[in-house]
Amino acid sequence: MHVLEVKNLVKTFDGIRAVDDVSFTIPEGCVFGLIGRNGAGKTTTLRIMMNIYLPDSGEVLLQGAKAGQDFKDKVGYLPEERGLYKKMKVLETLLFFAELKGKTGKAVEKQAIKYLERFQLADRKNSKLEDLSKGNQQKVQFITTILHDPEFIILDEPFTGLDPINTNLLKEIILELRDQGKVIIFSTHLMDFAERMCDHITMLDKGRVILNGALSDIKAKYSQRNVSINYRGDLSFLKSNPVVEKIVNYGNSSSIKVKEPQQVQQLLRTLVENNINVTKFAADEISLQEIFVDLAGDDNTNSIAAEVKYV
Amino acid sequence: MFNRRTLSVIKRELREKVLSRSFIFMTLLIPVFIFGILGLQMVLYNYDSNKTATIEVSCETSQLAAAIGTEFGKLPFVKDGSFKLKYNFMSKDDFDKMLPLLKKDLLEEKLNGVLFIPGSALSDKKINYYSKNPNNYSLLNKFRSSINAALINLYFSKKQLSANEISYAGEGVDIDGFRISNDKNIKAEGEGNQVVSYLLTFLLYMSLIFSGTMMMRSVIQEKSNRIVEILLSSVNSKELMAGKIIGTSITGIAQMTIWLLPLIMVISSSVFVLPKEFTIDINLSQVAFVLFNFLIGLVTFLGLFATVGAIFDNDQDAQSGIWPIMILIMIPFFIAFSLINNPENTIGMVASMLPFASIIVMPARISLVDIPAWQLVLAIVVNLATLGVIFPLAGKIYRVGILMTGKKPKWGEVIKWLKYKY
Repeated sequence: MHVLEVKNLVKTFDGIRAVDDVSFTIPEGCVFGLIGRNGAGKTTTLRIMMNIYLPDSGEVLLQGAKAGQDFKDKVGYLPEERGLYKKMKVLETLLFFAELKGKTGKAVEKQAIKYLERFQLADRKNSKLEDLSKGNQQKVQFITTILHDPEFIILDEPFTGLDPINTNLLKEIILELRDQGKVIIFSTHLMDFAERMCDHITMLDKGRVILNGALSDIKAKYSQRNVSINYRGDLSFLKSNPVVEKIVNYGNSSSIKVKEPQQVQQLLRTLVENNINVTKFAADEISLQEIFVDLAGDDNTNSIAAEVKYV
Repeated sequence: MFNRRTLSVIKRELREKVLSRSFIFMTLLIPVFIFGILGLQMVLYNYDSNKTATIEVSCETSQLAAAIGTEFGKLPFVKDGSFKLKYNFMSKDDFDKMLPLLKKDLLEEKLNGVLFIPGSALSDKKINYYSKNPNNYSLLNKFRSSINAALINLYFSKKQLSANEISYAGEGVDIDGFRISNDKNIKAEGEGNQVVSYLLTFLLYMSLIFSGTMMMRSVIQEKSNRIVEILLSSVNSKELMAGKIIGTSITGIAQMTIWLLPLIMVISSSVFVLPKEFTIDINLSQVAFVLFNFLIGLVTFLGLFATVGAIFDNDQDAQSGIWPIMILIMIPFFIAFSLINNPENTIGMVASMLPFASIIVMPARISLVDIPAWQLVLAIVVNLATLGVIFPLAGKIYRVGILMTGKKPKWGEVIKWLKYKY
């Protein structure tokens, strides 16, 4: 069942269509990834969902009804650019943001302490935020996102600026929250993160949806005729090979598409005959990165596209 | 617009502002500062550098010398010897010969001055004073009325008038001001009202600038620290702006009430008795009007300050963008000061009912003259109307501005924001 539905969103800034007719649905109890490179319209879409921006047209539906303030109260939102009141104390900050969501009292305070302990910040609860390290401030910010026990957790690029240990801690908690039945929505430009964590994805490029659906379905669809290999040697001879439709080289690994499904075996034979040292050969497998490159038609996924300044 | 979320924002603003060091300092220091300036002015004005002086008094006739001597002898500082006077009488020619001889003493200040009272003074009251510093009025004023009295006495003594008549002729004119109002009683006007007017003008001005700047900083902080996006994921921009403005307004009104507390106590209790020349005619309902009028004005101005804060994302840019608001505060401030010279001037009367200006000008007028009720009502209505016009516009710019970062926007762009659909 779809709990959240985004319908035909359009948002224009100074004549640039930052979000262009974007529609997708988010099923219950899943981790949903909004992916795309910088400037693809992810943040703008999330802001429209949070009612921070009004769309030029389109709507966001919560269980079939227009999402309004009731939705805001059910959401924990972590914006891409983090920031808190520097002069406020840690616990005070947590309680203030919970209060804005309508949660007050001893229970919230207890929960806040619990989270602080989990993030090893319990001893800093009366420190001013400006006295905390950047990493610790991010942890506090993350706690403000989940302290009021929201049904939906929207995280805009949650992994930027986190060290590996905290990245793992965050991942752990996200999966825990999913197991509790929460809907996790996060945006990222890191394809491999999305691939490892998401059940559903919507891929945006230049404000438009280019891919949408359950990750497993998408992979099944795009992985046909696709072979992913790790190797040592020179693959340049494959470019003129009649069975190969397309080849993308990543250095030590490569993604090769053959013309017909039954040509996979023939490809393996060709590689061996040409003295390529194949360390991994996976038929019918494709990474999200490869799908993205395929669809967005641009090898350089990290290139910063003409960025809309509001995003 | 007003709900539990707004209330949470108000509570946070109050915690942050009222407990802040700068608020406590300002609240305590501003009155000290104002009275300090008043006091300093008094001290400087009355500062007397001429505790002692030596003056040579030359008269052209012996009668003059005697009459002047009698009058000067009555002066306390002559009696106690702190002023040393040497009398002699000589003709103008002799005096002109003597003067060069005194030059050295005058320049070395062994002698502070030489007075020459010619016989013709009895017909034209013109006398000469020679000194290194002839413009020292505080010294001359000590003798002026004594010389006048001596001349009058001498002049009339030949005309067989009674002592009473002579003393009448010597009197200056003493003007007592009385205020005519709708009150039954005609009250003597004291300087107290001017002090109150000055005080109100200054306090209102300080408070608007102080609260406004605080508001602007707070918005800039939320914007530049990106707190605003998290806030907006819980509240909408109207709730946020309303909460911030209400919180800061409460702070401002509380501060103003604390500042006016001495005034309120003087009016409402008989424990504090002001000297007669400092009686004040302002009553409690007028103080209440001042506070209410100020509240409306404060909310309006805070809206404007918040808007400027939302347009810019750092203090420096904001300082350069604040001038239109500063003009709206400065001009009324100067108009209010001009009222102290003439409370009934037309500019003041009109300004006391104009948008923005009435917040500072009306209180200054209230303390000086009786104001018809319709003018008070009009001021309030105008202020409320201004608030009604300003707020939707300010709210719109605020909503767009707080999420806008990057380069400093031009005023033209800000106008365009009004048309944005957000």
